[in-house]
Order: sequence, then C-alpha cells, then structure tokens
Amino acid sequence: MTHLLWDRRAAGLWLIAALALAACKRKETIKVQQTDEEGPRMASTVHTGDPKSDTQLVSGFYGIEQNSWRWTAQRFSVVLRPPAGGAQRGATLNLQLTVPDPTIARLKTVAISANVGGTMLPPETYTQPGQYTYTRDIAPNLLGSEAVRIDFQLDKSLPPSSADARELGVIVGSVGLDAK
Amino acid sequence: MNAAPGAPGRTLRIAAYWILPSLVCLVLYWRGLRAWFRADDFAWLGAGLDVRNFGDLLRILFVPAAQGTIRPWSETGFFMAGYKLFGLTAVPFRVVIFATQFINLALVASIGARITGMRAAGFWAALLWVVNGSLVEPLGWVCTYNQVMCGCFLLLAFHFLLRHIETGRGRYYAYQWITFLLGFGALETNLIYPALAAAYTFLCARKYFRRTLPLFGVSAIYVAAHLAVSPAQKGGVYAMHFDGSILRTLATYWTWSVGPTYVYTPLQLPDWMLPVSIGIVTLGLAAFLAAKLRQGYGVALFCLLWYLAAIAPVLPLPDHMTEYYVFLPVIGLCWLGGWGLAAAWCAGTATRAAAVALAALYGLMGVPEVIAGTKWNYQLTVRARTAVEGVARAHELNPGKAILLDGVDTDLFWNSFPYQPFILVGADQVYLAAGSQQRIAAHPEIGDSVRFVLPMDAAAQALERGELVVYDASGPRLRNITALYAAIPRETKLPERLDASVPLNAYLLGPEWHQIDEDHRWMPQRATLRMGAPKRPGEKLYLGGGTSSELLQKGPVMVSVAVNGMALPPATIRRGEESFELSFPLPDAMVGKGEMNVAVEVSRTFHAAPDPREFSLHFGVFEVR
Repeated sequence: MTHLLWDRRAAGLWLIAALALAACKRKETIKVQQTDEEGPRMASTVHTGDPKSDTQLVSGFYGIEQNSWRWTAQRFSVVLRPPAGGAQRGATLNLQLTVPDPTIARLKTVAISANVGGTMLPPETYTQPGQYTYTRDIAPNLLGSEAVRIDFQLDKSLPPSSADARELGVIVGSVGLDAK
Repeated sequence: MNAAPGAPGRTLRIAAYWILPSLVCLVLYWRGLRAWFRADDFAWLGAGLDVRNFGDLLRILFVPAAQGTIRPWSETGFFMAGYKLFGLTAVPFRVVIFATQFINLALVASIGARITGMRAAGFWAALLWVVNGSLVEPLGWVCTYNQVMCGCFLLLAFHFLLRHIETGRGRYYAYQWITFLLGFGALETNLIYPALAAAYTFLCARKYFRRTLPLFGVSAIYVAAHLAVSPAQKGGVYAMHFDGSILRTLATYWTWSVGPTYVYTPLQLPDWMLPVSIGIVTLGLAAFLAAKLRQGYGVALFCLLWYLAAIAPVLPLPDHMTEYYVFLPVIGLCWLGGWGLAAAWCAGTATRAAAVALAALYGLMGVPEVIAGTKWNYQLTVRARTAVEGVARAHELNPGKAILLDGVDTDLFWNSFPYQPFILVGADQVYLAAGSQQRIAAHPEIGDSVRFVLPMDAAAQALERGELVVYDASGPRLRNITALYAAIPRETKLPERLDASVPLNAYLLGPEWHQIDEDHRWMPQRATLRMGAPKRPGEKLYLGGGTSSELLQKGPVMVSVAVNGMALPPATIRRGEESFELSFPLPDAMVGKGEMNVAVEVSRTFHAAPDPREFSLHFGVFEVR
C-alpha cells in the first residue's frame, strides 16, 4: 500500500485529483432559514418583557431586564390597538409601573402624565416607592384609528451617572388599552 | 510506537497517551465544532469577494492589513479557500481548527515528555492545557484560528530543534528554520520563537545556543518591517504603554492563566474562593519551580520563560486585554504543571495527594468556565446565523427590496452588522430600525451603530414606495412585521444624519448627484440636499467624504456650503486630504427649523476620461451634531 501511495504514477494521479478538486467550482447555493411571514397583529396590551413588543414601544424604552420589564427615559411612547368597541364606548388605559426606591430617595416625588392624540390625561404623583397602575379613561373620539399613539411624560428623571449612563424614569411592566 | 507482541495493555496505553487529550478536548469543546460564524469571521469571509485576478489574490494575501498584520495562512488564505470551497458551511473550518489543535496537543505531549524526561509529564501537560479557559475562543471562533495555527508552528519548530539536539542531524535544524519562517504567515507572535529556542538551548543545551542566534535576525527584520508598515499607535485600545501597567496586565493575565478567564465561574461560590484558589495553584507551581531549580533543572525555568516570552508582546496593551492572549503562553505553565504532577506521582503519598489536589483545583476552576464559555460562544453564532440566513430568506422572498431589522440587541448587533455579513448572502441593503441604537451598548473601539440606522423618515418613504420590508430579529427566527411597522404612527422628521450612499436616502438628494458608486456617491461642482436642522445652538454640520488625488494635483480646493441660502465660512481641502471630515458651524437661527436645504459647491472639478461626467467630491455622510 505504501508503495502504491508513493509510486510516481500514483502520486501523479493524486496530484491530478487534488487539482481537479481545487478547480471544481462550488455550486453557489446560499442556505436560508425560514422566516415567519405571517405578520403579527397590533396588540391592545404590550408586556415590555416580551421581545415581540419592541415594535409597539416606539421610543423611550430601554432593553428588557430580567425577562420581564424595562426602564423608561423621562419621555416614552407606545402604540396600541384600540380594543373592540373602543371607538363607541371608549377604553381604559392601564400602565403597570414601578417607582423604585432610588428614584424617590433622590427625586422625592415623580409625576406621570399622558397624551393621546393631543389630549392631555390627568397626571398622577407618586411620593412612595412601589408598584402602581396609572389608569385613565380614554374618550371614544380618540380611538377612531387602528393604532393609537400614547406619549407618557414624567416631570423628573434620574440623570445619567457613572453608575448608569442612561436617563432613568420609571420601570414599566405593561401598558394596555382595555375595553370598557 | 509499535507494541511489543503480547503486550496489548501497552498498546492501549500508547493509544490513550496520544488520543485521550484530543478526546477530552472534543468532549469539552464540542459546541465549538458545531458553532457557526460571528463578528470578524464575516469580514474575513468577504475578503475574497473583491478578487478578480491573480494580482488581487496576491494583494489580499500578502499586503499588510490596516493594523500591519500579514496572516495569509491563518486568516486571508484560510477564510478565502474555505469560503470558496464551502461557502457559509462552518463545519469544514471547524474540522481544520480542531485537527490543528489535536496536532498541537500531540506536540505539547511529545515536547513535554522530551524536555522533562518523563512521558507522563507530557500527557498531563496536554490535559492541563485542554481544561484551560483560554481555549474557548480559539476553538469556537473561527477568526482566532491564527492562535491555534501559530501554536502549531511554534511547537513544531521547537520540536525540530529538540530533534536536532537529540540526533545532531542538520535536516532538523533546516526544518526548524522552514517552520519558523512559515510561522510568520500565521501570526506575529511567531517572532518570539528565537527567544524560546535561545532560552532552551542556553539553559539545557548550551552547545546549540549560538545556532539559535541567527533566528533573532529574522524577527528583528520582521519587527522593523511591521513598524514601517504600521507605526505604533499613540491612542486608542492598541496604544502601547511601557510603564507600570505592564506589571498589572501581567498579573491579570496570570490569574486568567492559572485560573478561569476574567476570574469568572458560573458556579455559585463565595467571592474569596477563586482568588484564593488561584493563589494556591500559583504557590504550588512556584514551589515546584523552586524545587527543580534547586536540583539544577534549568528546563523548569524554560517553562516559565516560555510563558513570559509568549505573553510579552501583549503586555504593553492594557486597554486591549483579550481572553485568548494566554492561549499560547500557558503551554509553558502546563509543561511545568504536568511535570509537577508526574514527579509527585513518583514521590510519597502526601506529595502525590497535594499534586492531585492542586490539579483538581485547577480543573474545577477551568472546566465550568469552559463549558459556560463554549455555550455562550455557540449561542452567539446561532443568533448571527439566524439573522444572516433569515435575511437570506427575506432577500429571496423580496428581491430588490431593502430589509430593515427591528429588535436587534447588543449581542446580535456587535456579532453581525459591523462586519457586513449580509453581503455574503447577496443582501447589500440591510439596515437597523430607527431607535435600535438606544438598545445597543456602545463600543466606540469597534464602530458606531448609528451608521447602520435607516432614519425613520427614509423608512416611512421607502415603505410607501414598497421598497422596504421590515423583520423583527428578536426571536429565534426572523418575523415579517412590515404591515405592523407601517401601521404605527410615528414622528417623522428629516434625519440629522444623512448617508448619501444609501439608496433609500436618494429622495433627500437634489438632481445633481451622480449614481451610487459602490459605497459612495460623487457630486459635480454643486449639489444640494435636504436634512434635519440643528436642535441645539452651537451644533455644526459635518461633511465626511473623499475625493481623487487628481482634483488636488493643481492645489487646494475650496468647499463652500450654504444652508437655506445662508453661506457658511468655507473650508479648504489640500493635497493629502483625499479622505476628509469638514465641519461648518451652523447659525443659531437654524435651531428648531425642523429641516434645512444644504448646498455644497467646490471651487474646481475634474474629469475621468472617458467618462464625460464632471466630478469633485464623493460622500459619505452629512451630519448635524
């Protein structure tokens, strides 16, 4: 076997085979991974810990933390689908938020307000750390389109620091429009 | 290595001696074998896309890269050949990497046995190397193959030196030279080989010491050439610091060498446990080294010198500490440790127990980190694969359309976008959705995510024209969210950053501009565009572009910019400034205007025969900041 391998003729054949292999033009095929082409519907409630909520969290939200929530900046906006019958009966806006200890320790109070289609919703002021739901009624005339943008604003936020380069507002778990 | 007749046990032992370290390597790093590509891999895979003739091939293989590196075997050649033959199938790359590492392990065992005179020492040295966390990236990330290949050249050259010393045959000396010279095509670290050869011969085979000195000449020439091509950087992460930081960097690398990388373990351990364990292993090694030196074994010092010589080139880089930089240096410590284990096994029970305890401690620090590290690396490559092959499918379903990716996070972005992976699947227009940059951690030393963002206004316009599809990249497969994305009302305003070379931004450019030419767009003498106005007083308009040396041959050219008809102080481009960034202070009156019309005019133009068009500058980016 050794003789065969190192025999001149055999070596020539090996060389030709190697050159032929090298000269072979690879068939240009690009591997693809299937994509999910059935697009999602816009949701009336988004859970900020769900990566799929990204599209509806228009601005002011940071990355998901602990798979369940996100910090916001001082201003943040979402787009929600009005619930069925919303254009006739109106809806309730529910924002599940947490006001953390450090925020109250440094800012003393935090007030949140919202704007829907140019209409300001009454603000709410929090003086203690904890979990809250900011709830407001939305009039039917503001829910006529397929998508409603809601802009939230805090009166204060923690400025960027060496510990965290982000401007930090509150922690939001979910935000939704519920049918009345 | 033939077994004596009637000695099947010996055959088995010999087989285990050579195979077991590789098998353990396979068991620990199997995820590396299955991993795909990520980050820099894509840039190397695309290196051959511009090759049109043999001259191009030689240029790419042998002309130094921007950092002065010439790595034709381990990077350019390896990736180009692999991509040519196998495309984006990673397995053949992985097989080559693992095969090279198996050779390395055999060489470590063989050399360890030769220099210590104990066969078991080589075996244990190979095993100690396998469980070191520094192997995670070389065996899991294709672009760090240079480490594995460089190890192969260094070890092989040293093997030939040992054979030369053992046999006195000149051919081994020649083989050593050939291997050493070829090693420069793998990694610059190869230049330390003369120091290794000189150290060993000086300590253990003085007669051959002078024969190693000519090797230094080659390394010196290489260093001089390298510095000529790529002068030492004064700033940035590659800036070299020759001060006390060298010792601090060495101390940190030492902890990564005898303990886990970054002194991290996935196990829930008290904070003190890892530092104390690293200290114990260090003391054990130091005690064995001292004992051997007292007994007159110079080779023990050689093991330490191997470590120091191999780590020395990266010690002046405290701002660029990388986990795999200890991959080659630790070989020296593994020989020392392997020798210690083998020697202790022949000593009394107490010594044996102490040595086994030390080895177990080292293994317990390394193995959990290796498993976690290989998993982390594998998952990163899976995410990159999902994005790249998903984009390939999206491109196939939507030919001619640009693709906008939403939900891209820090890990996915830094392991894909900056290295242009999508070109490899034929999709040259892939962008980040506006706002993504806020969710991507900054790494200015690598790049800026903003340059991949398609401004909201441009995306909205492209969606209306049906030129854009939007996919959500946050899940395990890409999800088409075009309809949802288009339905969401957003504030659209003209972008404050406009890349003239992005086709979807063309609606913001005046009619004077020429067609896109690969990654830039030329303008004639005068061109106009629309973009967002400044938000704050004091902001400037930055123009990042380039021109041809032909334009500057006849002297400087003046660049005049007018904003909404107001002329700004002109700027000048001189010879040697073919690539430029010009800045123009914007009048405070523009603040809050929303948008502005910009007109750029150049004092001179040129023609590139036979093209009848008039050229002046090419862009590039216009940015208000």
